[in-house]
Amino acid sequence: MKESSINVESRKKALHYFFSKVVDPLGFKFTPDEELMNFLLEQEVILEGKHGIPFCPCQPLRHNRSRDMQIVCPCIPFHRKHFDSIKRCWCGLFVHKDVFDPDKLPQLPPEEANHE
Amino acid sequence: MKNVKIYTLSTCPWCRKTKNFFTEHKIPFTFIDYDLADEATQNSITQELDASGATGFPFVRINDEVIVGYQPERYAKALGI
Repeated sequence: MKESSINVESRKKALHYFFSKVVDPLGFKFTPDEELMNFLLEQEVILEGKHGIPFCPCQPLRHNRSRDMQIVCPCIPFHRKHFDSIKRCWCGLFVHKDVFDPDKLPQLPPEEANHE
Repeated sequence: MKNVKIYTLSTCPWCRKTKNFFTEHKIPFTFIDYDLADEATQNSITQELDASGATGFPFVRINDEVIVGYQPERYAKALGI
């Protein structure tokens, strides 16, 4: 195994550990889709290597610090109402704790989500 | 033939699924990976995102209809397939 791939894997594990501590009290957990979880964590490690911060892989960097800080993973606190209503975060790395089949959760934008 | 334009991120798995949907249904489309685009293109895309209230990718425009997120059923409906 190459050194770079070892670093990516170890960083993925570290992010997994840190993120789980943050999202658990918010009522979220990692998606049970392990392939998706691994892919997203790997993208975040790449983004962290490029920008110094593990940004969401599915939201755009706007080069505006206050806006970009709102997509630092886990970005749940900044989008709580929206993500609670769709039971997942935008990229799907995290789902509500009561979700066991994430494929059934549509990726609805805020204006289409049911904010109750 | 409907005009399909997609904005994506190279790091986004839902963007890949979206492109796969149109490829599998043999629907021609153009796409731009926002994160790989130059600054002027990024600014133009963020203006389109803001105009439609979108905050994330994938961003799909089928003629004048905008669909944000991976929503294959809505793509099919907009395409009439």
